[in-house]
Amino acid sequence: MAGYRPQAPFLDELFEADGTPRQTAEPLIRDLESLGADGLAEAGRRRDAMFMQQGITFETSSTGGGSHDRPFPLDLVPRVLSGEEWRAIKRGLAQRIRALNHFVDDVYHAREIVREGLVPWRLVASCSHFARAVHGIRPPGGVYTHVAGCDLVRHSDGTWRVIEDNVRIPSGISYVLENRAAMARLVPELFASYRVRPVEHYPQLLLRALRSVAPSAESEATVVVWTPGPANPAYFEHAFLARQMGVELVEASDLVVRDDVLYMRTTRGLERAHAVYRRLDDDFVDPLEFRPDSLLGVPGLVRAYRAGSVAIANAFGTGVADDKAIYRFVPDMIRFYLGEEPILENVRTYLLSEPEELEHVLARLDQLVVKPTGESGGRGVMIGPHASEQEIERMRGVISAHPDRWIAQDVVQLSTVPTVGEDGVLAPRHVDLRPFAVFGERIDIVPGGLTRVALEEGSLIVNSSRGGGSKDTWVLEDGDDADRAGPPIADTQPPALPDLRYGGWTGQQQQQQQRRAAAGER
Amino acid sequence: MLARIAHELYWLGRNLARAEFTARAVEAVFRSELQGTSDSLPGVSFGSGGLLAILGDVDATPGNGRPSLEQLTLDSGRPGSMLASIERAREGARTVRDVISAEMWEAINTTSLELRDGVQPRWGGPTGTAVTSQYVKERTALIWGVANRSMLRDEAKSFLDAGSLIEIADMVLRMLRVALPSSNPAESDGQALILLQAVGGFHAYLRAVTAPPNAHPVARFLLFERAYPDSVAACVDSLHERFTLADAGPRNSKPVLRVSRLAADLDFQRRALPEGAELTGICEQTQQELARIDQDVAERYFAGAASAGLRR
Repeated sequence: MAGYRPQAPFLDELFEADGTPRQTAEPLIRDLESLGADGLAEAGRRRDAMFMQQGITFETSSTGGGSHDRPFPLDLVPRVLSGEEWRAIKRGLAQRIRALNHFVDDVYHAREIVREGLVPWRLVASCSHFARAVHGIRPPGGVYTHVAGCDLVRHSDGTWRVIEDNVRIPSGISYVLENRAAMARLVPELFASYRVRPVEHYPQLLLRALRSVAPSAESEATVVVWTPGPANPAYFEHAFLARQMGVELVEASDLVVRDDVLYMRTTRGLERAHAVYRRLDDDFVDPLEFRPDSLLGVPGLVRAYRAGSVAIANAFGTGVADDKAIYRFVPDMIRFYLGEEPILENVRTYLLSEPEELEHVLARLDQLVVKPTGESGGRGVMIGPHASEQEIERMRGVISAHPDRWIAQDVVQLSTVPTVGEDGVLAPRHVDLRPFAVFGERIDIVPGGLTRVALEEGSLIVNSSRGGGSKDTWVLEDGDDADRAGPPIADTQPPALPDLRYGGWTGQQQQQQQRRAAAGER
Repeated sequence: MLARIAHELYWLGRNLARAEFTARAVEAVFRSELQGTSDSLPGVSFGSGGLLAILGDVDATPGNGRPSLEQLTLDSGRPGSMLASIERAREGARTVRDVISAEMWEAINTTSLELRDGVQPRWGGPTGTAVTSQYVKERTALIWGVANRSMLRDEAKSFLDAGSLIEIADMVLRMLRVALPSSNPAESDGQALILLQAVGGFHAYLRAVTAPPNAHPVARFLLFERAYPDSVAACVDSLHERFTLADAGPRNSKPVLRVSRLAADLDFQRRALPEGAELTGICEQTQQELARIDQDVAERYFAGAASAGLRR
């Protein structure tokens, strides 16, 4: 701990620039110090064993071609956010998600924002996730983006910025819950000086939201989670959510559409499903409307959706709102639909389909981040300052050939948090934050979210598929620790625990003790 | 519940029971083959050859017995090995992870992970077979204990139990069919301790039956004794209970009716058959009937509701 130095110019979330702990982090640093490097390394080994046992693993393909499970890389140093900081983030997110939801509705109906000239139709229609099949469909409650996760980063000036929106199928919430459970088991001493706001109510929030949008007249709505199958890398999360919500986890072969109504095949014949939390891309959901070669889809599902007999979360076609080319217009959407000023800032973004912006970008490729619009998970991203001369030259050629498939952004100086290395020693590593919002009758956001951390020194890529790990994110309750009190005890005292009624056990023992006591006295 | 999930649970139960009974049988055979034949005439013939036949491992050519026992424990390439059964159970459990409790999944996962690292010295060596069998027995007991305490007694549990019950009954019948002498049993009614050890019913037998553990009373005990949970009759009774609970219309459900007929039939045989009567025929018929029940179950519950009418 003593040797820990924040890396200028990046902001460190636990330490001031001069290496002294921040005020909120002081007790944490003290507890980490008393745990020591050996204690942390030991807890790390227990963590790996525990995750293997619970099957919380990632399948990674090794260079030999085979794949093997490795435990999910949870870092044991939590990230701490004050209640005040969190409130600002939460308000900003709710505002942003509401605007994105308006935008999806607008794109598939009146297209007012296009007619006002704020967003070019060319960009919307050329999005790879623009779904012509759902034009004119308005789901129950007008909610499209039931589950949203925006990726936030903290710049060196301390402000939070949104780097990416995710309103298709954001994943990672299961790790938020599992991380918290694991931290409480592995390093309970770190929690001692803090009151951390709980996260485990997320599945109930989600279930309530799904029930609230389900078109079910008489009985309680049947909600299901739809997974592509056990071979999917996120299968753990699908099963986790289904179990936590107490609903069925279905695959395509379990679902069938008859007369525009969705049913599932059960041991007692067909039963209706009212709301589907789907965890696969639009492309695969219905071979009749999207990709005809999809084996994972349910023929006729879009027809049932159009007929309003089933709610789908997230709705089809929401991908237009989190497209990387549309991202730049989100602050405009907030002003246009809500009449408010954006609370969270965007990162400065250049649309390469505009000739003057393209020219500007090509001149400073070595200072910018370039991202392909159609990809996710950090694939194809080039970070200018880290790239070699040849890479930049190659990128220049690629961009000039298809400028509309790329965007460029200013480099964000991602903040750092101390992170445990193999030997238990702390070193600064870059992090981002993905909070999860659930939109049903209202927008709920679980405190914190998934903090992803780049485990390589100096790396800015935090995606778990590319060697990133995660951290538990603590949002602190207001007020200090002194008013932490256990739950009140009821007035009535329970009767004493019953004991053996007959038999000499107790008497004998007492006598034996008496004899011993008497012998001692003598 | 979903037909696919019910199917997975049923097979999860079957695979767990299969692993457990393989472990018990392997342990008993291992122990008996270490020693020579006893003075008293053995009434049953049960060795590693018979065990391989039970598990349907036709390729195996048992030499002196020892190597094939090792294969039965940890060779995952052999479908009949304990490890293969546990691996299949784990794959099944992974698919129904949201239905079974987290504790139960962990118990199954840990068992499979431990066994898979077959390089561990404790699984190898001369004691490996005994240690592994013991471990599998303990772990399956743990898994069922966790399941019984943590799972709701609903359809899901019914299918899980049904799978294990039908598997146990089937395993016991297989053992009896391989081990019982086909000639007139009255002539060669020697001791049949190994059968009791192979199903783990030695203690229960001593408390329930006064006759010495000879082939005939042991076979009757394993077939008809309803108070012993792993006897064929007890399994069939419980199977009936589970299907009645899981079925939407048990009164005209083929598997339920068939199981209930089998239970009555076993009860009838128990009372009607004279002491010392030949039992291999009954074993064979019962096993065929169980195979038909398995078929009916698949058709009624797992085939998917494709052809069945809408419920609502």
